[in-house]
Amino acid sequence: MNVHVEKPHIAAAKLQHHVIYVSDLKRSKDFYMKLFELQFSALNHPDSSAAMRLSNQEMHFFSFGFYHHDLCLVKHHKLKMDNNSMLHFTLMAHDKAAFDGIRARATAMGIPVRDGRLIASAKTSPGQRAFCLQDPDRHWIEIIEEQRR
Amino acid sequence: MTAASYVPPNVLPPLLQKFAPLLKRKWFRELVLMPPTLTRRRFSNKTEDYGVFQPSQIASIGQLSIYVQDIERSRRWYEQLGGLRHSRTCEQESHPFKPGWSIRCCYMSAAEHEECLVLVEECDPDGKVTVPSGMSFFHTAFELEGNRLEDVLAFSDQAKNAGFSRNYGPVRHNSEPPLGDGETGGNVACYFYDPDYHNVEFCGAMDTIENYRARYGETKGSARA
Repeated sequence: MNVHVEKPHIAAAKLQHHVIYVSDLKRSKDFYMKLFELQFSALNHPDSSAAMRLSNQEMHFFSFGFYHHDLCLVKHHKLKMDNNSMLHFTLMAHDKAAFDGIRARATAMGIPVRDGRLIASAKTSPGQRAFCLQDPDRHWIEIIEEQRR
Repeated sequence: MTAASYVPPNVLPPLLQKFAPLLKRKWFRELVLMPPTLTRRRFSNKTEDYGVFQPSQIASIGQLSIYVQDIERSRRWYEQLGGLRHSRTCEQESHPFKPGWSIRCCYMSAAEHEECLVLVEECDPDGKVTVPSGMSFFHTAFELEGNRLEDVLAFSDQAKNAGFSRNYGPVRHNSEPPLGDGETGGNVACYFYDPDYHNVEFCGAMDTIENYRARYGETKGSARA
């Protein structure tokens, strides 16, 4: 690849959405909706979407409440997913109440939690709380309390 | 180090990448969806029929860490294509959940999002860097500065002129010509494979509660099938 540009004129502003592979859509959908209260916003199925039909995939979209989708779950109907290309992703809890609510629901659901950030070198602001857990496919999710500025 | 040239099984072959723009043609989508149409299994995505856009417990995605074979190679790619900036690269540290393994982390920031991406070299107990499988996530998406259709199209041209090959796009994930590919969300997007074949979307103008209703009013998804 021959690259000529030092600094793009238009650059990425922020990480916006993430689309993870899962092995059982119903199981994962129940998990994410119950634990994080995510809202189901759309479904792309091989019987509704040409792209999904061609790629042998089915995608369920979830919204955090502003954008159409922020987190999506995808099942590949031919290939097997694994945990060998992603270490973790982080979800920012809106506030103290949201953070505590997620933590309480995780406990009630019997999900083992691990306190603190997952990666030792990751930054933590003073007083900022974090914990980690795994979803049904063993994807690591980090939950951080967003601090009001 | 020399990175292994592993191509994950979900990567779109170059030949199929050339045909992917056909998804922007309604006749092609109808042809692909003919089997469920004829067997009456076809349905619309019905986006606006779902009870969405209420306040949520989650504000945003804060960080993503992905395995890479060569931090320097990946760092250059994200800097040169996406305009991300290098925040810091750390010394080797213990793997957070694999005893005896280690990781080295490079933290990258976007214009409005500090340390949003972590490039991670994972080493097995023999010190060998692992090869990412490509099968943990389908893609990840960055919103572009400006966040308008024009910004994504300009970014797409900018990337092409700089020598980066798109694997898909620019498209708009709705059914409106000329960019619409029949998908959902309304975001204008272009997709690229990074050096480890992680599929990375750069997008803008995604539907929100406000602009979704501005476009479709109160028309239900079933009425747009």
